[in-house]
Amino acid sequence: MSNAPGTGEAVLFWILGPLAVLGSLGLIFAKKAVHAALGMALTMIILGIFYIAQDAHFLGVIQVFVYTGAVMMLFLFVLMLVGVDSSDGLLETLKGQRLATAVLVLGLGGLLTAALGSVTYPEPAGVKSINEETGNVSAMAELIFGRYVWVFEVTSALLITAALGAMVLAHRERLGKGRNQRDWSKRRVLRGEYVAGLPAPGVYARHNAVDTPALLPDGTPTPLSVSRVLTARDQVTTPERYVEAEDRIAGQIEEDSSR
Amino acid sequence: MSAAVPAVFEAVKVDYAAIAPMLVVVGGALIGVLVEAVAPRSTRYGAQLVLTLATIAAALVALFVWAVPHKAVTLGQSLAIDGPALFLQATLLVFGLLGVLAMSERFGGKSADAFTPMGASSPGSPQEAAATRAGFATSEVFPLALFSLFGMLIFVAANDLITMFVALEVLSLPLYILTGLARRRRLLSQEASLKYFLLGAFSSAFFLFGAALLYGFSGSSDLKLIARAITTNSSQMNGLLLPGAILVLIGLLFKVGAVPFHSWTPDAYQGAPTPITGFMAAATKAAAFGAILRIAYVGLEVSRWDWRVGVGLIAAATMIVGAVLSVTQTDVKRLLAYSSVAHAGFILVGLLSFDGNGIAGVMFYLVAYGLATLAAFAIVAMIRQGGSEATHLSQWAGLGRKHPVVAGIFGLLLLAFAGIPLTSGFTSKFAVFAPAIHSGGTMGVLLVVIGVLASAVTAYVYFRIIVLMYFTQAPEDDVVALTPSVATTIVVTVGVLATLLLGIVPGLLLQLAQDASTFLL
Amino acid sequence: MSALLTVAHGIPALLAEGKDNPSADFSDTPLWITVIKALFIFVYLLVSTLIVIWFERRVIGRMQQRPGPNRNGPFGLLQSLADGMKSMLKEDVRPKAADALVFTIAPLITATMCFIAFAIMPMGGEVNLFGHRTPLQLTDTPVAVLLVLAIAGVGIYGIVLAGWSSGSTYPLLGGLRASAQMISYEIAMGLSLVAVFLYSGSMSTSQIIGAQKNLWFIVPAFFSFFVYVITMTGETNRLPFDLAEGEGEIVGGYFTEYSGMRFAMFFLGEYINMFTVAALATTMFLGGPLAPPGIAAINDGMFNEGWWGLLWFTIKLWLFMFMFVWLRGSLPRVRYDQFMKFGWKFLIPATLVWVVLVAFFRGAQNGWLGEGGVNFFGRTFPVASLALVGVVAVGALIVGWWWDSRAAAKEAAAADAPQSSIDPFAGGHPVPPLPGQTLAEPTRTAAAIRSEAVTDKEAIRG
Repeated sequence: MSNAPGTGEAVLFWILGPLAVLGSLGLIFAKKAVHAALGMALTMIILGIFYIAQDAHFLGVIQVFVYTGAVMMLFLFVLMLVGVDSSDGLLETLKGQRLATAVLVLGLGGLLTAALGSVTYPEPAGVKSINEETGNVSAMAELIFGRYVWVFEVTSALLITAALGAMVLAHRERLGKGRNQRDWSKRRVLRGEYVAGLPAPGVYARHNAVDTPALLPDGTPTPLSVSRVLTARDQVTTPERYVEAEDRIAGQIEEDSSR
Repeated sequence: MSAAVPAVFEAVKVDYAAIAPMLVVVGGALIGVLVEAVAPRSTRYGAQLVLTLATIAAALVALFVWAVPHKAVTLGQSLAIDGPALFLQATLLVFGLLGVLAMSERFGGKSADAFTPMGASSPGSPQEAAATRAGFATSEVFPLALFSLFGMLIFVAANDLITMFVALEVLSLPLYILTGLARRRRLLSQEASLKYFLLGAFSSAFFLFGAALLYGFSGSSDLKLIARAITTNSSQMNGLLLPGAILVLIGLLFKVGAVPFHSWTPDAYQGAPTPITGFMAAATKAAAFGAILRIAYVGLEVSRWDWRVGVGLIAAATMIVGAVLSVTQTDVKRLLAYSSVAHAGFILVGLLSFDGNGIAGVMFYLVAYGLATLAAFAIVAMIRQGGSEATHLSQWAGLGRKHPVVAGIFGLLLLAFAGIPLTSGFTSKFAVFAPAIHSGGTMGVLLVVIGVLASAVTAYVYFRIIVLMYFTQAPEDDVVALTPSVATTIVVTVGVLATLLLGIVPGLLLQLAQDASTFLL
Repeated sequence: MSALLTVAHGIPALLAEGKDNPSADFSDTPLWITVIKALFIFVYLLVSTLIVIWFERRVIGRMQQRPGPNRNGPFGLLQSLADGMKSMLKEDVRPKAADALVFTIAPLITATMCFIAFAIMPMGGEVNLFGHRTPLQLTDTPVAVLLVLAIAGVGIYGIVLAGWSSGSTYPLLGGLRASAQMISYEIAMGLSLVAVFLYSGSMSTSQIIGAQKNLWFIVPAFFSFFVYVITMTGETNRLPFDLAEGEGEIVGGYFTEYSGMRFAMFFLGEYINMFTVAALATTMFLGGPLAPPGIAAINDGMFNEGWWGLLWFTIKLWLFMFMFVWLRGSLPRVRYDQFMKFGWKFLIPATLVWVVLVAFFRGAQNGWLGEGGVNFFGRTFPVASLALVGVVAVGALIVGWWWDSRAAAKEAAAADAPQSSIDPFAGGHPVPPLPGQTLAEPTRTAAAIRSEAVTDKEAIRG
């Protein structure tokens, strides 16, 4: 039985292969973290499809289910939550690091390509016969619960450690009572700052939104009145044009009345 | 997968006696997690400490009573419980026992002194202060240490690359967490943890890449079958063997901190809580060298002529860089870190001799170095200025006049690190250098020459510290050595006694190591 | 009770044979027939979606005593078509802050992924199609059911990315809520299906249907069915679990910023997802295309063959659709924290325990826990199964007793607790007691005030 890939598999490979490479390049070069994560998700889904095309059904589906569906999704989840007002510093802290990295990466890549390219691979064994005789899932189960049962069980220690570590490093127990509204207002008065609370965002005849800062008596906008998140996202509008429009109207009214 | 899957499921044979120590340790760790979940906060420290010590002691008993008479390759080739594995497992358990004792040091406080009361609170925040006031303690460090120990026990016995990889992760992950839990200088500690984690993950990737290539080469991840494939495969596949072997070795050399994969060592050693640093330096090194021994002597021995020179160069670089950079250090923990790098180089020299005596020498070295290191870091944890650890060298000036005993013991340990006769350092260096000269060929001799020169350089550093401690006027008066509890006293005493005994009568342990130096296939 | 349920005689012991490959035979199915079947599924789903939107609005109308849509076509049947046309012709708005690429991709992911899972649903038996014998199923794999879960996992990307790429706060919150909800409920869902895998010995849908010939899995795996139905509502973001688009809190959730055709794609995806989870429930628990028990026996299983399956499948599917609508018509939305707590603290652990129990029952059935059986009504029940049921029953009784006594103790403690008493007239005006407070014995003056107050009131009234 020959295990050489058929036409269908070849077509699949040559369409999806470049896409997978594009996805992985996207992971490295994308500017936004979410785009990078998407590139990685794309690559992982395509890998799953490749596994299925090579008759490793269970592996392929689990690749999509666990890595793309769960792990990558949680990753994306965190990215979206933290990504609002953080930005990557592109400053090179170690001098000449990029050049050295590039040289080393190309060197390692070249060496590995040369070594791996020189190999003459034997006919692949494939899993087709196992799929037909034992069944893909059963054969997998026999390996996991047979030969590799120790590794499989030891992995649970890894998961417990991870859970314990997450609790140790990220779980903040509440110590004492949280501040309620009354405590906050007392604190404001005691400290003597923002006794009446932070200023509300600007309200104008033509505009009334959380992204417009309020004006102080002297006419300058106060950044305290808009949400920190909006400022970080660069979504704060300047109230100047409303002020100008207001002035214009006031001027017109004055003109009209003086006429 | 190419190996035929049997038609009817066959459960794998388990030699429970042989793996009893590991089961005891992981059982203790799991109970520890449950204690963390249900026991009231005030009782946790005591409960965890008793549980952890009892677990390790029980594992030691299990090792000697059940595992030693049951040497076997078990669990379907996953684990080889043979001489070197048992020797190193016993070593690791002793290190674990001493490490946990050092971790438990309270210096009169409510909770373990080295660990932050609440890992999740921001450094310097009111919450951290509140947690300290409330008497919180990160008693999770004890189960975490047990999990790490569990990984190490598997690591030295792992007989296939997959088991080895999982064991590597099991031993590393708790250490990454523990590194970030220091009570003082927490930002430094967290940074160290992150660096250790990132570089560790990187090294795991190298290991995995190499394992995949070796699997492609031999069609199996079993070390035995890889060794067989090296002799039987046609040379057409050799393009997979050498890169695979080198990448796997790089992954492991990361863990021992060999140059150029040492860059995490000083930062992680400096930032980690001091007892953890001691545990990490002693036990991780022993476990990782155990794995390297097995890979080098069981899996890749046949192809050693291909990669031996490369590892020899790494050994030379490790000794030179470790020795030279330790000269420039001004922080005791960083200095000990660079010294550990240099020691990794010395051990590699013994490893490259490919000789039963070499295996024995490496194992002897690991025991001697580990015990001395644990004691040294226990002493570093005692020297304080204004409550926080005084790790800058200038703070150690004149310590010998104020605390002659503590400084004297530290001086002795430094002499051992330098390899002065009548200490374990000398005998262990002899134990690794002799086989290298005897059966290591020209390269072995060259490496030994470099090793002796590097020892001379490190000896200079250590003498400088001794001079600093005894012959310099103390500029500040408030540097003190805290009075240790029984736990730390035990650690230091065991370390010092071992250093002296192994230096004066090394024969007993050396004989034991030699008897245990054959691998089962 | 569960002894009766767990001893399912007709379930072939597939595990013992070690065969998990699909039993559906695709050897006589050329590529063009596969394409035709794919097209059929596409049309089937689209038409079903059009009908179900109308159906939902009419049924809810009924439940709320109003007519529902009744203008376009007979009984308003063409209403959904009209809505669809409107969506297509509407202006497509994209916010300035949106991430253009992702904003476009997100609805496409949702709308395409939802169709894929239907490929493995067996919709009927083997039929003669243009001279070829082929099962009414697009394809089957040994991991077909996992494939459905995997596709659902990828489908979440559409929602999360829609929320993120809109560049707006409510959609982001909605997207995060949706993904958290779907991921947490997918765990319980996957666990509930494990019991079915244990009974059928395979994850291939055709094998699962085959294993239900004598007894639908809703009986032996009743708890799984219960959990699955809850999680499928959570998974499809339907009331009472439609927190991702809770209008009162976060406007429209992840599709707040979407309009026109892009919005229609989300809408379509959501409804087809409903069909997908319902079809999976049908396949896993209700025998898929198998005829209901009484009818199946007629004429030597005539109604189990060929095209009849499509009828039974569709009927079962629409039963679930009606259930969805019924839930929407009768239940209010739950609170987010309660919803999450329910998923993580009840559904997942309970299902885990259930799966372990089922594993024991399967072991008993296979005779691994000792031979020997007891005859009841012509069926043989393994002794081990009965013993297990006994143990579970006793355990349940003990837990129930403990729970009751704890609740009683709590109640008693609450009753004994010194209740703070208030003087209802402390401020001069009568104040009613809050829960846990009792009225203090009225003092003389208070009584005087009260009588005054009463007279005042009565005076006003009078």
